[in-house]
Amino acid sequence: MIVPRPIGPRVVRAAILAAASVLLLAYVLAPVAWLLSSSLQTEREIVSIPPHWIPDHPTAQNFRAIFATGLGLAQPSPNGADPASGGFIPSVAGNLLPAMGNSFIVATAVVILNLLIGVPAAYAIAKIRFRGRGVALYAILATRVIPDIALVVPFFLVVRKLGLLDNLASLIITYLAITVPFSVFVLASFFEQMPDDLDRAARVDGCSRLQVLLRVFLPLARPALVAISLFAFLASWNEFLLALMFTQTAASQTLPIIVAGITSDFTVSFSFLNAAGVLAVLPPVALAVIFERYIVSGLTAGAVKG
Amino acid sequence: MARIRFQSVTKRYANGATAVAGLDLDIADQEFLVLLGPSGCGKSTTLNMIAGLEEISEGVLLFDDQIVNNVPAHKRDVAMVFQSYALYPHMTVFENIAFGLRMRRVGEADLRMRVMQAADKLEITHLLERRPSQLSGGQRQRVALGRAMVREPAVFLMDEPLSNLDASLRISMRAQIRHLHTQMRSTFVYVTHDQAEALTLADRIVVMKDGTIQQIGTPDEIYESPTNVFVASFLGSPTINLLEGALERENGAACFKRGTLTIPLPALQGGARNIVLGLRPEDVGTPGDGPQLHGVVDTAMPSGADQFLGVLVDDAMLFLRVGKDVRVRAGEAISFGLNPERLHVFDRETGRSLRGAA
Amino acid sequence: MAIRAVSHDERSAFGLLAGLVAVLMAVTAFPILYSLWISLFAVNLRRPLRMPFVGLDNYIAVLSSPAFWESAGRTALFSAMAVAAVLVIATLVAVLLDQEFPGRRVLSACLLIPWAIPSVANGLMWKWIYDANYGALNGLLLQLGFINSAMIWLGDANRTLPLIANAFIWKEVPLAAILLLVTLKSIPSDLYAAAAVDGAPAFRRFVAITLPALRPGFLLVALYEAMMAIRHFDLFFLLTEGGPGGASDVVAWRIYVETFRNLSFGTGAAMSYILALATLLMSYALIRSMAEKL
Repeated sequence: MIVPRPIGPRVVRAAILAAASVLLLAYVLAPVAWLLSSSLQTEREIVSIPPHWIPDHPTAQNFRAIFATGLGLAQPSPNGADPASGGFIPSVAGNLLPAMGNSFIVATAVVILNLLIGVPAAYAIAKIRFRGRGVALYAILATRVIPDIALVVPFFLVVRKLGLLDNLASLIITYLAITVPFSVFVLASFFEQMPDDLDRAARVDGCSRLQVLLRVFLPLARPALVAISLFAFLASWNEFLLALMFTQTAASQTLPIIVAGITSDFTVSFSFLNAAGVLAVLPPVALAVIFERYIVSGLTAGAVKG
Repeated sequence: MARIRFQSVTKRYANGATAVAGLDLDIADQEFLVLLGPSGCGKSTTLNMIAGLEEISEGVLLFDDQIVNNVPAHKRDVAMVFQSYALYPHMTVFENIAFGLRMRRVGEADLRMRVMQAADKLEITHLLERRPSQLSGGQRQRVALGRAMVREPAVFLMDEPLSNLDASLRISMRAQIRHLHTQMRSTFVYVTHDQAEALTLADRIVVMKDGTIQQIGTPDEIYESPTNVFVASFLGSPTINLLEGALERENGAACFKRGTLTIPLPALQGGARNIVLGLRPEDVGTPGDGPQLHGVVDTAMPSGADQFLGVLVDDAMLFLRVGKDVRVRAGEAISFGLNPERLHVFDRETGRSLRGAA
Repeated sequence: MAIRAVSHDERSAFGLLAGLVAVLMAVTAFPILYSLWISLFAVNLRRPLRMPFVGLDNYIAVLSSPAFWESAGRTALFSAMAVAAVLVIATLVAVLLDQEFPGRRVLSACLLIPWAIPSVANGLMWKWIYDANYGALNGLLLQLGFINSAMIWLGDANRTLPLIANAFIWKEVPLAAILLLVTLKSIPSDLYAAAAVDGAPAFRRFVAITLPALRPGFLLVALYEAMMAIRHFDLFFLLTEGGPGGASDVVAWRIYVETFRNLSFGTGAAMSYILALATLLMSYALIRSMAEKL
């Protein structure tokens, strides 16, 4: 939208916009930049006062340590070694890569299940008139009001009873509760925008409902599919509370759990801590920035109806 | 080939609204039937029930002798052209036309041949590799026709297919659709709200209103002998003039009375009552032996071939069509001759025609 | 010809919906009912064999505990601060991004960064920024001369909640701004043109046209952010663990402690239920009060 501005010189407007942009950029980026800067400093440099905003001698030693131990090429430093000595590798370093792998497995599985479950359901809700359609919509909306923390107790008891504690399956299944309703919502509002006649034309042309979905709607829904895949992936990658409850060992712990553990571990150096943070931040941020367009349109679609 | 029969078919929506009530309709094989009516009259619902896109709440729908109530759309031998064209945006024109054949597992060679033939007939061969978004409205319309044509369906359905075209294209497409019908030997069911389209295309017209059939007949029957006020006023452009008045008997002969106006209606049976007299704009002639109409010209509007006059008769404004040679100006008195045979008479309470048995 | 009870369309619909129904049943409806059931028993994992039915005792215990009400007060305070700040900042951001200027696209892409960051990384990042010894906040304020000596930030009971709220706000502003931007874009531009022709200065136009038009967006954002804030757990776990001295002991944290540290599942479930109902009531009240003003 272009706001007509007959009054006020353009220069003032440009200056205000530039100042506001810089301010916003600083607000958004400064904390992350500091996280990154800290991750590239040595333990000696990071405890300097005042802080070195830009590292004097940027080093990737933390990341090297994470990858080396994660791949079994190096061992953590022995107990009692001095973290400030340089080349110190905390004992949890080796857990980060496997945890990343766990996060990736969980997030990918959740995305696939979201697509398998969400796409048909969204199509049915958007294009088929059936008894109980209103109920289905309300049920989906209602799930958004339920705090995830209210689900923790029953989830825990069931997961324990099923013997799925410390098993990635428990995360994959429970993450469906926090992702599927939103996916259905976004997709259904996308499908609703597509003309009903397209659906009718395909059916007259010889498609069953499932074929209409697969041959006509799916190819057209690519932006929405990208959006919900990203949402499901990010939500699973970032989830903390449920993972905290259900996972107990490095076998099933996801990245947020290992990172949280490092955060409260006083033996881990500050720079290593920040390197772990960067590792957790990098994949979701890269996805978000690359697919910004899809995410914004997806969020918008989900919101307009919500 | 298919004969389509509706037997007391009712369509109710989940919200309780009745779209079509107690529909009885027998569409002959290879007939060109037009469903005509204002929006919301149930004509599209009727078409969708034939297609299998809407379920039937009550009654029976038969294709030939087979009940098809529960046959889903994709298993009926039906093709359809939509007002919005509904072309698949992600497919080329070729693939759009071929889609229905692919779904029916037609072999590649046969498929190619049929698509090319259809494209050739519709003169869209040069567009086959384009996407729908790169086509004009008229071109899209042809692709939509082609998509239905290649299927060589038993039943060919069209839902306001010409409504989105501009006026001149619409006229030429009418001829093309009529031509298509003679070639295809399918049963055509065509939905429109445009009475001119219905009159040009149809073997028979079904006029609908509020989910019920008002009249079924050939275009001539519908135009010449409307069974009620609604049908009379829905067809014809400009619309029929309707005069409210009373049917009275003078010396045993029926006549229409309204203020100073008296028009004899010799053939009419029945006693005195309130009636509505219908006079089509073109049904006036030069004053002759028969009954006459006297009025004052209010406006004169030349319209190409002829002219329209707004004439104040008694206290009613009539809209009449006369030849260009009639030279009148606003404010002048004018007289017309009427042919009592061509006057339409309706009961004012029921709206039904009082002509003959109809 | 009888009409079938379930139509062809409905059969297809139910088939397509089967997965969703299964998911909603298994991971939403069932847990909710199960937790209602649990909340009526004295379930304690320390005494797994005894599980006496206690009716509403868990609820009565929770609601009559002054500590719970103090937590509820902190949750309310935290949520109020967070929602208010998010609304203000997001409005400014949305108005900025509604303008056409070079670099706008880059800016809106960067805006998604806080939204995408895992809450754990967000907690780690702010914990490091707030660090009393080497943190960036102390460093910056000392360099700029705003303070003379390093402060203990999270360790100060009076500052804990606002500082946690700040971390929460930073992460929530992007989504809120995007939602408000959508509302802004839907304002017809001739409204502004008409006001400009009438000679209304920019600020008047903002107050007279933009703010009222944003109301539905405000409602949506306030509702969503309030729900997020009320249930928020991650930052409390990562930054302070309810401390110092209970200064950040909010309801969500209390549920966690009650359930997983005291292993008292009955009261934990009861508290969860109270929180869920409170969220529902709050949503309803917010919708009612905002809808009336529309």
